[in-house]
Amino acid sequence: MKRPGRRRADIDEEIRSHLRLAIADRIARGESPDEAERHARIELGNELLVRERTRDVWPGAGVQRWLQDLRYAVRQIRRQPGVSAVAVLTLALGLGSVTAAAAVINSVLVEPLRFREPDRLFSVVNRPPPGTEHRYWLTNGRHVHEWRTHCRSCEDIAMAENVAFNLSQAGGAERFEGLRVSFTFFRTLGVQPALGRDFRPEEELPADSRVLILSDATWRGYFAADPGVIGRTLRVNGEPYVVIGVMPSDLRLPLGDQWGPRFGSVATQPAMFRPLGQDFSQARPAGNNNYASVVRLRPGVTAAQAEAELNALIAEFVRQFDIQPRPMLLPLHDTVVRDARAGLLLLGAIALTTLLIVCVNVGHLMLIRTASRDREVGIRMALGSSRGQLFGLVLTEALVLVAIGAVASLGVAYAGLEAFRLWAPPELPRVADLHAGPRVWMITLASAAAATVVCGLLPAWRMARTDPQDALKAATRTQSSARRTVRIRELMVGVEVALSTVLLVVGGLLTLSLVRVLAVPMGVDVAHVITQDVSTSIAGYDGASRIRFAEQALERLAGIPGVAAAGVTNQVPLRGETWICQLRDGAMPDGPAAALANFRFVSGGYFDATGIPITRGRTFRAADRGQPVALISERTAQALWPGQDAVGRRVGGCGDSSLEVLGVVGDARADLEKDAPVVVYEPYWTMPISRPHFVVRTRVEPERVAADVRAALHDLNPEFPIGQAATLADIVDRAVTGRRVQMRVVLGFAALALVLASLGIYGVVSFAVATRVPEIGIRLALGARRSALGLMVVRQGLLPVAFGLAAGLVVGVAAGRAASSQLFGVAPGDPWILAGVSLLLFIVGAAACWLPARRAMRVNPLRALRAE
Amino acid sequence: MGARAANRLDLLQGTLDMIVLQTLTWGPQHGYGITQIIRSGTRDVLRVETGSLYPALHRLERQGLVKAEWKLSEHNQRTRVYRLTPAGRKRLADEHSRWTRLHAAIDGLMRAKGAPA
Repeated sequence: MKRPGRRRADIDEEIRSHLRLAIADRIARGESPDEAERHARIELGNELLVRERTRDVWPGAGVQRWLQDLRYAVRQIRRQPGVSAVAVLTLALGLGSVTAAAAVINSVLVEPLRFREPDRLFSVVNRPPPGTEHRYWLTNGRHVHEWRTHCRSCEDIAMAENVAFNLSQAGGAERFEGLRVSFTFFRTLGVQPALGRDFRPEEELPADSRVLILSDATWRGYFAADPGVIGRTLRVNGEPYVVIGVMPSDLRLPLGDQWGPRFGSVATQPAMFRPLGQDFSQARPAGNNNYASVVRLRPGVTAAQAEAELNALIAEFVRQFDIQPRPMLLPLHDTVVRDARAGLLLLGAIALTTLLIVCVNVGHLMLIRTASRDREVGIRMALGSSRGQLFGLVLTEALVLVAIGAVASLGVAYAGLEAFRLWAPPELPRVADLHAGPRVWMITLASAAAATVVCGLLPAWRMARTDPQDALKAATRTQSSARRTVRIRELMVGVEVALSTVLLVVGGLLTLSLVRVLAVPMGVDVAHVITQDVSTSIAGYDGASRIRFAEQALERLAGIPGVAAAGVTNQVPLRGETWICQLRDGAMPDGPAAALANFRFVSGGYFDATGIPITRGRTFRAADRGQPVALISERTAQALWPGQDAVGRRVGGCGDSSLEVLGVVGDARADLEKDAPVVVYEPYWTMPISRPHFVVRTRVEPERVAADVRAALHDLNPEFPIGQAATLADIVDRAVTGRRVQMRVVLGFAALALVLASLGIYGVVSFAVATRVPEIGIRLALGARRSALGLMVVRQGLLPVAFGLAAGLVVGVAAGRAASSQLFGVAPGDPWILAGVSLLLFIVGAAACWLPARRAMRVNPLRALRAE
Repeated sequence: MGARAANRLDLLQGTLDMIVLQTLTWGPQHGYGITQIIRSGTRDVLRVETGSLYPALHRLERQGLVKAEWKLSEHNQRTRVYRLTPAGRKRLADEHSRWTRLHAAIDGLMRAKGAPA
């Protein structure tokens, strides 16, 4: 097997020897040496062609030729470092964004959860009664107990509830967010403690439930990863708890809403776990839908079968208590990611669109280059290159650019992932597990391949279509060929503008959505309210003492200078819905439930403190103690007694009580993006709240009063850990973080696209002006006004922009419709957005045309005509 | 590819192979010599272009039907000389019989007195 280089040399030598023999023969026949050589060469034909075709017979010839193209492409790129650098940079940005987006989508949406056989894990949730607007509810503890005792389709079933752990240590009290779980919790998920042991069945009952399992982060952060922590006794909530285990570091549990709606705060993994400490065989099977349940089905059992069985098992409760739970099974993976899916897919689509724009832009740059290589093309074709080979040559050049860009994009992708980790909104699931696996690299490779095709297609096509005669003939390009080039370039600019428009429209819609979200009537005074929560669930403090604590705290808070009003509640506005029971008309206690209501336990001053107006009647007074009273929100009044006066009527409480309505207050939102819920306010002295939130309205900036508030509460009882203070403005801000991040990312890409598009416009208009210099000279010589010429340039430069804009608006509206789940309060076809984007593009387009237009206006007619 | 150089007679590849192999039955030859033999053997009717001959020769070499080696000519010049292999002989025989059959079949058509049924 000869080396390719060796073979090439042999073939060359062979052909030369043929020529030699032919010449010798002719000389022998009597021709002169010169004549003989000339005739022999003519007879031989195209020597290069013969060599090529002979070489092609052997394998590896194609590769050899391709390597030649490759070397040529690299040389071409080095010849124009500036343009090539821009192309490579934009390709790196485009490919990097796609890679980062793919990694995020893969890690968050595609990869299965990290539990044993995760496809057998399901959340059990309740379908809410018809007529309510919530998606689904958590489950009742008694029901779960019933299921775990009798369910045959279930291999294991577990439940969990959010709970706070007040850890008393030498330095003071510290609060941790954690879970109280059934003893089957970790078993169901399929994880085991890394140290120590799991819970035992008997530990679920109150008597033996004072045991703790720590998370890995807590163990490392607060106990210095000391293995001796196992068996240690800690003082939690005022009582001794024994640490029995530590979970492994790679445990990733669903957070917050991913368990089910309103499941405590989002943000961090649970810090520690304790058993339920309750005997659920005695629990009330109605109301108290506070437990997130997870079930692991037996192999081979379908979700439908299990669902049917679960429903059947609680049929007796439904009949007996007239409740309406409809348990359904949702794959646990789906529960965790479903809310994030639409937003992430949108980001992926944006990244792909940006890559497309980048490729069109690079293709445009390459087209400019190929247009000036007509002579070279003519020579190549004369020497025997086929059109296919020319096509391949340009594609190879595109490949080199894309390859370099792809290497650089790794850095961009890495940076993008780091940025995402830092700035991802807290409600985004599984961010801690962000990684780029083989699947992601496949996508990068596929994107690079597609990018090569898109970048190289138009320039390659144009190069292959060159007529070699024309190409070799004129020293300058002909008018018609130049005009054809302008047309193609205008087409590319149109495409770039269209794609930029799409991104701008989507970005505009998201921006307007954010504005609308922030403008919703929240029902509270966001500007001057600060909230502060305190944990009072410490042993040794019974219900009465907690209520007394709240009373005394309210007095102290009211006395702080700068405080206009103070109140207490079990949950502040805008922090989500909680304490949900059925709403009944108090006069008909056995009647059907009108809706599900949020119950709040508040002081009389709460409404003043939050700025919720009292529209009818009055608020609680000290004299109301001992009376069954309540206040209701407007929506509640509408639901129970539409059009009538609610004051004086009776409303059902969370238990079986019947409460007199003292007054009606304004609606306050629990979620920014949902309508205000139905709320019933009971007095705080009827229900000891384990975590009261104190609400303070200030006359000055809320932040200035925060320290005093904290101090007042701490002084009252230093054993109660005090949480983070938050103004209502902070809470709103946190609620829109996700939206804001998304909007910024989309707008960032849109800005990049706009810059690329404007560069494209500038380029093509400059080129058009340059080719029309003689024509402009003639016009000027014939008396045209310079300003009219300038306008003509701008007008013609804006024509592809106009077409691109029109196409882009149509696609943009369609894109908005596809992404409508991400929008709020704005229609995909919002005319303000469309008008704004159009105006922006016209301004940018006109600005890009301005410099070339000025050049056109400055043309010296004499010089222009002379050059022609 | 550029404009294909046309032969006086458009030869099918198999036919060209047969002709080239035939020229080698009378002893090893270099490429130029093969073109001369074909010319004189067909009384100047057939002139094989180098652009067709050398690819054909190398193709035959690749298929193992001919063997090639460099030889020094009388004037101490290197030439590449081709020789028939046993496999080449067999191919030649096969192609020849195919060509003969084809030739006879077409001939029969051309000599037909009336339109064939």
